[in-house]
Amino acid sequence: MKAAAFDYVKAKNLVEALALLSEHGEDARLIAGGQTLLATLNLRLSEPSILIDITAVSELKGISVRGNMLRIGALVTHTEIESSDLIAQHAPLLKEAAPHIAHRAIRNLGTWGGSLAYGDPAAEWPACSLALDAIMIIQGPNGVRKVNAKDFFIDLYTTTLQADEILVASEIPLASSNQEHSFQELARRHGDYAAVGLAALIRTDKGKVQTCRLAFFSVAAIPTMASKAQAFIEGKSIDAALIQQAVNLAREEIETLADITNSQETKTHLLGVLLERALTKMMP
Amino acid sequence: MNHKKQINMMLNGKQISAEIEPRRHLVDFLREDLGLKGPHLGCEQGACGACTVRVNGQIVRGCLYLAVQADGATVETVEGLTEQGVLSDLQEAFLRHNALQCGFCTSGMLLAAAELIEHQPKSNREQVREWISGNYCRCTGYHSIVDAIMEVLEARADGRQVKPVTTS
Amino acid sequence: MELSGEQLIAASVNKVWLGLNDVSTLHASIPGCEEIERISDEEVRAKVMFKIGPVRARFTGKLFLSDIVPEVSCSMAFEGTGGAAGFAKGKAKVELYGTEDGTLVRYSTEASIGGKLGQIGGRLINASAKKIADDFFQAFAKQLGGELIVLSDTKLEDKKE
Repeated sequence: MKAAAFDYVKAKNLVEALALLSEHGEDARLIAGGQTLLATLNLRLSEPSILIDITAVSELKGISVRGNMLRIGALVTHTEIESSDLIAQHAPLLKEAAPHIAHRAIRNLGTWGGSLAYGDPAAEWPACSLALDAIMIIQGPNGVRKVNAKDFFIDLYTTTLQADEILVASEIPLASSNQEHSFQELARRHGDYAAVGLAALIRTDKGKVQTCRLAFFSVAAIPTMASKAQAFIEGKSIDAALIQQAVNLAREEIETLADITNSQETKTHLLGVLLERALTKMMP
Repeated sequence: MNHKKQINMMLNGKQISAEIEPRRHLVDFLREDLGLKGPHLGCEQGACGACTVRVNGQIVRGCLYLAVQADGATVETVEGLTEQGVLSDLQEAFLRHNALQCGFCTSGMLLAAAELIEHQPKSNREQVREWISGNYCRCTGYHSIVDAIMEVLEARADGRQVKPVTTS
Repeated sequence: MELSGEQLIAASVNKVWLGLNDVSTLHASIPGCEEIERISDEEVRAKVMFKIGPVRARFTGKLFLSDIVPEVSCSMAFEGTGGAAGFAKGKAKVELYGTEDGTLVRYSTEASIGGKLGQIGGRLINASAKKIADDFFQAFAKQLGGELIVLSDTKLEDKKE
């Protein structure tokens, strides 16, 4: 199906993008990669009167190291993340996750910021941003603010981004030498939205886990951390017995939400399977 | 409501200009306005890959890309890439392995395969399958397509030429 | 799709009943409500922008009230179309109970969503229906100047259509 008619303007910089957004309000949609937006417009599930193209806004581009943080601009594409040396070195979880996103042609256009702003509970980047303790940098007419990933995703498809704000970039602590990660995703076919997924990260000291992050996706209305399982694992060494207990804890604490392809029970079962695989992989 | 925009792009090696509605997808612009029927329309949702074209050197879904976004860009379709470089090798291999029947998916398959060969020349069969899973084929059952792509990968890895299909 | 729940609002039964029947209170409470008009004692017409994720679908609909027992309960039937996005149809029952802490609002809804949203939106519809109900009651309680004391989780059931 073809989209309904709309006007189109390309913002030259962030100030202009924000001004255009304020001017047009609810009638405008931002377009970056457009891989979700254009599919939506094609089905006429949204009929904006104007698209504001932000792909020329340089403030949203690039991957760089700033102090002890890795900065990923909102416009960075999934392919750029997949092939970036900086990402491979400082956030290897993302490099492992990237090939799971849709297919190459979509990854060439789809963006880091777009995926986070939509906050699809079945998407990879929101869960990864939780596992990595990412900080979202948001700009609006009143200036810049920073939000931790764990406070950013608040409800189904709902983030703390206000209608007149733009997600500019994320900052992620650089990977440390005592860090291990595992990315697990189950999908019916390669490239599908996940049936269940897990972005897992641990930092260890002398064989014991200091920090544990277990961010599940496609289990509930938002990407969800298994905080009880995390707390249980922290301070201990990973062995088979611990893994079993952690799996039971995670299955108990996460209230799963069914979707078109899987029931609550299936999701609960599968999240435990993925946790077992991830912890086994990260075991010394 | 006339929102038509002026766009300029390098298309298959030629500089062109047009005035189009912002809502026009790149693939509709190529097919309907310029008569380039190589890329096809399947789902208009980005899932099937039949509309795959190349913009600024990388494959994109022509149905999830607006023609206005291609202003100032370099756009290539199978018509512009045919019988040169890696596409030429792929076309020979596709013919030899019967990797097409109705041909609807073929333009997209060729462009996707070309990007794989360019970026991941050491791909094995499993990796080829994963890469082309974004291009649906309803005829061949995929094996022959994978065979053809593997032939090109292996030939290049060995420094060989891909043999042209001979008609005897 | 079935949706049922209870909300405790720190306001008198009288205030809650009047609020539920006052179009300007409803306008301020219904998420995405753009227009709302009372046609008669039994009929209300509204235009609501349904926003979830990338979807923005404007629904135009009607609400028909019946079995009205003032300050106690009422039934409603509703139908709406969202243009290319699809259509919705259903019924609801609302009951009010006075308690020490305020008014207990008990509601149960049955709805069917058809068209595109119904076909592709299974997960979307169920999870977002709960969110819309929660958002409505938050806003409604605020409008009445009272507090919302949520009692039990809204229960959801999906009946295959």
